[in-house]
Amino acid sequence: MKKVLSLVLCIAMMLSAIALVSCSGSNTYEIAVVTDVGQLMDKGFNQGTWEGAEAFAKANGKTYKYYQPANGADATDNDRIAAMRQAITNGAKIIVAPGFLQATAMTTVAIENPDVKFVFIDGWTLTDAEDKALPNVTAVVYKEQESGYLAGYAAVMDGYRKLGYTGGGGGSNPACNRFGYGFVQGAEAAAKELGLAAGSVTVKYSYQHGANFNASAELQAQINGWYSAGTEVVFACGGSMFESVKSAAEANPGAKIIGVDVDQSYASELVITSAVKGLKESVGKVLDQYYDGKWDSDLAGKTQNLGASDDATGLPIATSRFTTFTADKYNELFGKIKNGTIVPDSEVPADANNGDWLNVFDIVVVDFE
Amino acid sequence: MTFLIQQTLIYTIPLMIVALAGVFAERSGIINIALDGIMIFGSFVGALSVYIMQSGDMLGGNTQLMYVIAMIVAAAAGALFSLLLSFSAINLKADQTIGGTALNMLAPALTLLIVKIVSMQDRLSMPKALGFIISNPDIKPVFKPFFDKMFISTYIVIALFIILSIFLYTTKYGLRLRACGEHPQAADSVGINVYKMRYLGTTISGALAGLGGYIYIATIASGTAEGTVAGMGFLALAIMIFGNWKPLGIALGSLLFGLLKCIGATYASLDINGDGICALKELGLPIYFYNIIPYVVVLLVLAFASNKSRAPKAEGIPYDKGQR
Repeated sequence: MKKVLSLVLCIAMMLSAIALVSCSGSNTYEIAVVTDVGQLMDKGFNQGTWEGAEAFAKANGKTYKYYQPANGADATDNDRIAAMRQAITNGAKIIVAPGFLQATAMTTVAIENPDVKFVFIDGWTLTDAEDKALPNVTAVVYKEQESGYLAGYAAVMDGYRKLGYTGGGGGSNPACNRFGYGFVQGAEAAAKELGLAAGSVTVKYSYQHGANFNASAELQAQINGWYSAGTEVVFACGGSMFESVKSAAEANPGAKIIGVDVDQSYASELVITSAVKGLKESVGKVLDQYYDGKWDSDLAGKTQNLGASDDATGLPIATSRFTTFTADKYNELFGKIKNGTIVPDSEVPADANNGDWLNVFDIVVVDFE
Repeated sequence: MTFLIQQTLIYTIPLMIVALAGVFAERSGIINIALDGIMIFGSFVGALSVYIMQSGDMLGGNTQLMYVIAMIVAAAAGALFSLLLSFSAINLKADQTIGGTALNMLAPALTLLIVKIVSMQDRLSMPKALGFIISNPDIKPVFKPFFDKMFISTYIVIALFIILSIFLYTTKYGLRLRACGEHPQAADSVGINVYKMRYLGTTISGALAGLGGYIYIATIASGTAEGTVAGMGFLALAIMIFGNWKPLGIALGSLLFGLLKCIGATYASLDINGDGICALKELGLPIYFYNIIPYVVVLLVLAFASNKSRAPKAEGIPYDKGQR
């Protein structure tokens, strides 16, 4: 019996060794996507980045693969470093990594591997110990406040008065805060234009539940409470947490949602619009520049700050479900942001968890939770 | 106020049924520490069945029927899963705590593995919400907590809870089941098959836990199975002890716990008397305070109630016919 068992074990070991060799030997993947916290298919941020890389790779016949750092929502820098190293072992030439949380991991791995290029989405240029920009990293940030502004403006113009914003437990996330801050500014602008009385537009603003932008029972209960108490539309600013907001909205007749990052209108009938950023397009653009040999001239160590003028922010007006807010009206406003007539403020204080910085508006009252 | 009661009820229902699941196992003499694991497994199987039904456009899109079927499937899956525990604890006379712990470790791993195969990610979402069985936005506020925005599962669980409590206390089988948890040798001496009764208790327990797990994700956790039920199974276990292994105590315990959990999540927008002032938010306490209250309360209650605690005498002891 023992002999048979050991024989079986030996064969199993040999087989797995062969399998490993065939894995690392023949297949290499040039373009790698290392995801942020949350899921790859989060209907948002990670998915947008991934789809951009996928579309480019398919169109240009490149090999590509995604890597999800271990431990999911609780991933540490070590997990991210491991995922990036794994990507490099598998032959990655360029690694696209969304999420500002990846900064430490990316700095470490980028210094280790000067020949591999890194695209840092939602972050600024990374520097080495001597504060010099790493030449093999390029960064892309977005003017989220513009998309948020458009969404807030459109919502109030469309007749919504009781708004909500949830940043999913990510109080310190700068991108999220830019969305939220822009959202309130847009609502204020529309309220002023409509000549509404002070206090007639309210925004509930919270980062309380939904840690790491994941769905959670608490978030669902909280948003359910908002809707029950009369909130008409909630801006769900994060990936998988969208599910919680969706479930809460489905339980309340008339409740609506504003999506984020990518066009989420397909995810639910209740999504009236989405404050998008052109993840897919800009990832494709950066990859295009890289493969055109323009890395050193255009990308190395630089940060691109993309906004309306690059068509990287806005609302997917064609799939939006507004009743009175028209595409013409949208285009007019979008044009103003594009040419710089309207510049939404993006200065979010470091200590954003204290809601005082949002109590500066004339008409809109922000109810910070 | 209406919202608070409704939301409390939503939290209470799965806790209540899973705590009752614990009662059935322990009253028959088996410590079922695997409630959490069985919930996870049941929730996943239920979500999977709805996923299949919805993506296959079956049943003409009747979501309530789907919900009921998914509940039955989840209960069956829970019952099957709990057989592992019964087998190890009853036939093999293994340590029940360790067996239960093993199931708790097995369930999320197994669930995540299958979820990854099915949906290529760590979570399996039901494509569409199952919705309420009745919605009466226009009825009087007094009736709203029980007749507006109600899930079909709420009524089913309340009915099941009452029926099973009656079963446990007034029927012949209920008495035999309880006897096996108190003094199996005595039960055996009057001709009761202890093994059979313990299998019965644990299987009912598994079915209820699986059912509770599915209701948890369908009503609270956005219809998403991701290999966790946020420790609800362990909370249910605590509530069972809190309720002194008795249905009425459990019902009260789950209500209390549901209320505290609900307050923890929604305190900032809770307007109890409808005057537009959210009193709890005005207190300015940090959110963590509200989040720990339920656990602190349970700790306190358990600490003070432990003197009166009356656990089934023979629970956790494998039955050995040779021993008298």
